Amino acid sequence: MTFLQPWMLVALPLVALPLIIHLINQRRFQTVRWAAMQFLLAAKALSRGYSRLRHWLIMALRMLAVAAVILAVGRPLSRGWLALAGGGRPDSAIVILDRSPSMQAVAAAGGESKLDTGRRQLAESLATLRAGRVLVVSDPAKGPEEVASPEAIVELATAGPVAAAADLPALLQSGYDFIRENAAGTTEIWICSDQRANDWKPDDGAWAGIRDALAKLPQQVRIQLLSYAAPAKGNVAIRASNVRLESLGRDRRLVVTVAVSRQADGERATIPVKFEIGGVSTAVNVDLTGREAVLKNHVIPLEPSAAARGWGRVSIPADADTADNEFFFAYDAPPPRRSLIVAEDPAAGRVLELVAAIAPDKAASPVDLVPPGGLAAAAWDQAAVLFWQGPLPEGRDAELVQAFLDRGGQAVFFAPDRPTATEFVGCAWGEWTAPPKPATAESWRTDQDLLANTLAGSALPLGDVEIRRSCGLSGDLVPLASLPAGTPLVARASRSEGVTFVATTPAPRDSSFAAEGVVLYALVQRSIDRGLAVLGGARQADAGPAASEIAKACGDWTRLAGPAAAPSTESGLHAGVFSCGDRLVAVNRPAAEDAALAVADDRIDGLFRGLSFQRITGTAGDTDSLVQEIWRAFLIAMLLALAAEGLLSLPRAAAADRAAKTSRPLEAAA
Amino acid sequence: MFTDRQPRSFLDPAVLARLAAVPLLARRPMVGTVSGRHASPHRGSSVEFAEYRKYVPGDDLRRLDWRAFGRSDRHYVKEYEADTNLRLYLVLDTSGSMEFSSGGVSKIEYARRISGALGYLASQQGDAVGISCVADGIVRTLPPRRSPAHLRLVFDVLEEAKPAGPTRLPEVLHEIAETTRQRAVVAIVSDLFCEPEALATAFSHLRFRRHDVAAFHLLDPQELAFQFQRPTRFLDMEGGGAIFADPVDITDRYHAALEAYLDSLRRVVLESAVDYHRVVTDQPYEQVLARFLVGRAAGRGLR
Repeated sequence: MTFLQPWMLVALPLVALPLIIHLINQRRFQTVRWAAMQFLLAAKALSRGYSRLRHWLIMALRMLAVAAVILAVGRPLSRGWLALAGGGRPDSAIVILDRSPSMQAVAAAGGESKLDTGRRQLAESLATLRAGRVLVVSDPAKGPEEVASPEAIVELATAGPVAAAADLPALLQSGYDFIRENAAGTTEIWICSDQRANDWKPDDGAWAGIRDALAKLPQQVRIQLLSYAAPAKGNVAIRASNVRLESLGRDRRLVVTVAVSRQADGERATIPVKFEIGGVSTAVNVDLTGREAVLKNHVIPLEPSAAARGWGRVSIPADADTADNEFFFAYDAPPPRRSLIVAEDPAAGRVLELVAAIAPDKAASPVDLVPPGGLAAAAWDQAAVLFWQGPLPEGRDAELVQAFLDRGGQAVFFAPDRPTATEFVGCAWGEWTAPPKPATAESWRTDQDLLANTLAGSALPLGDVEIRRSCGLSGDLVPLASLPAGTPLVARASRSEGVTFVATTPAPRDSSFAAEGVVLYALVQRSIDRGLAVLGGARQADAGPAASEIAKACGDWTRLAGPAAAPSTESGLHAGVFSCGDRLVAVNRPAAEDAALAVADDRIDGLFRGLSFQRITGTAGDTDSLVQEIWRAFLIAMLLALAAEGLLSLPRAAAADRAAKTSRPLEAAA
Repeated sequence: MFTDRQPRSFLDPAVLARLAAVPLLARRPMVGTVSGRHASPHRGSSVEFAEYRKYVPGDDLRRLDWRAFGRSDRHYVKEYEADTNLRLYLVLDTSGSMEFSSGGVSKIEYARRISGALGYLASQQGDAVGISCVADGIVRTLPPRRSPAHLRLVFDVLEEAKPAGPTRLPEVLHEIAETTRQRAVVAIVSDLFCEPEALATAFSHLRFRRHDVAAFHLLDPQELAFQFQRPTRFLDMEGGGAIFADPVDITDRYHAALEAYLDSLRRVVLESAVDYHRVVTDQPYEQVLARFLVGRAAGRGLR
């Protein structure tokens, strides 16, 4: 229990006062010469159960009354269900806010969102606790922001909702840095979150370091999690993908794939999906039966006079979480699907050239075969992807490739004939191995990335591709496909998302990628699509660090659509369409925000193991305060205890009455 | 006639004068040695007709009822009730517990007043008065005599009675029942702190010996109320051990035990036809004795 005046608790030993008085009373007994001993002996022999119980009960109630008075004077605070947790007035309170879109869910229509409820409850609680300093950590990039009073948390512009996911480890690290650098005294860290897995990243290696660092701090640090983990009931999210502009003669049309999803199975529902492009709205109904319904390649005709570049928005009616009811997109005439191919093996280069040159939509797909040594003269600024078959680049070549990757380009490296020890993005080729019988891929990631299932849902036939020999790979890699011994066949570099390694070549002597062309075609064309996403005049970006980087790199970041209340200092964290020079950037919440995967309570407990950690479960729109003074309850308890003590003491008066009655002459009995 | 020249602390002449207006009567026929005011089981020469009896040779011819002979031609002798004197046998409990007093009159002093007054009243109407002081046995005894000088001895015994020792009242009553052969009014003045069942057999024994048993049960107000504020160490006045008790803890159970004892005693005296009087020592003894005497006068005529 927390007390505003904990020093009053030094009087707690007074609780023993009734007991001491009882013992003193026992010691100052009187001696009486008594005649009617036989009744005393009989009384002693009678059952003492109830009498003794009553005696001790009276004693306990008196002690309880004294304790209640002392505790009431100490001004106790109730902390929800965790009223018994220890603590006092903190010197500093650090409020870590999870502002992700899922925190904007409401419990009832028109009610307060989880984030607003959390901010209000925290403001009330910290005002009651009278914390010395109050700091708000809402963006790890900016660090803690001190507020003048706890009430300011509600009004703080940088504590409002954003479209980006929260990075709890980074936010906590930011709080830790403040405590360490400012040598704050007793500190309370209040985390307001809905425990979503994509915000907490419980598998992140940073957790162990933060936990150890907090445990080693000399000052007392208490961590309180204000959890709103209950999912939003009936929430439906909408997301658009594969937005592309197609031209058929003079007609233009926009092709959009829209996915409507919900977090739990429910009854069949018809969701009206509304498209807004250039001020023109169209609507289409989508039947949602399971958890997700996808409207594939929905065609929206555009006016012939409409510009080739533009933006739009797709939305559904407001529900329990309004943050995922709209999705912005931008479009532009597709740039040429230009690829650069560097191949030391002509056979492999030829295969790659053929595959890269055939675009799925008959768009122009120029392929530049770059000879070794000619990299400096290559059209890097127009290329979407680099296919590289040969020893990893080094020196000037490596710098050129790195610059290409940094601006968003994609690179796919195939195994060289003669591997070297050169490292690139933390990875290096190993030795070639050729099994007696051609191997096939044992497993591969079908849910995302280059080898994901097709839009129709069927898996790529990677199992049919024979790998006659494969080259070893080492370094920080995320395998996308593996051979039987666990050897990576296709892998993505951990340090650079744009780099993919294929541990063989498409040459017929190494693999049947060329003969089973579908897999190679999908891999190559998907790489080109990824590279094109950053090349065109319109691009999509997830709200968060990625969009912030774009906004920062862009000199003129102007909002075209989206919430107007977003502060300019939080560029890239809010959803909307922004103009960046002559390009359009549509910023939306990350896909993981639409999943309702909450981290289990025991998992969270494990993240804070060894620290003073408590969880308080709240609900959106909850009007109760987390912390409130409860001295009235103690006074009522004292009164009840005294009343009960009086009631228990009453039988003594009754006995006296009976004695008086007995003393009347009773000789009439004879 | 007041024969005692010494002033006795337990005798109040004014009280005695008022009580003398009511005679002390026995509830049962008494066998006395001289004529008195009490019913006798034998036929005598009082004016109260009793019965006709057939004449047998040897009867006094003067007692033949000639009118009855004239009517029935048979000889009848007319008999009358006899009146005699009684023996009042005072049994005074002098055990240690009789010394108890919660501030007022002690039980032994109260017992002296009752016994003294009863002895005086009996002596005044020509009855014989005897006394036994009892504790764990008969401490001192005087057999019933009619002479005023004897009454002085009785008063001396009362005055010198000192409470001491434990109570063995039932055994003593058995002994008195055995040793007192002639019918008597046995007046027990005691706190009766013994088992009611044991008293029941003693009372029955006295009744079997045709004694008229009266019991004055003396109780101190504090013994009934048991009102103590502080933890108390109770010392047994009859020489037993000590008991430490917190009144808060024990009062209820003390009262329960006391009530059980009184109920049991009430049943015993009803079954034994004992003239029982519970006396709280804060009551005026004159009132107690007046009620005792009036109660007996109302029952006069029983033979």
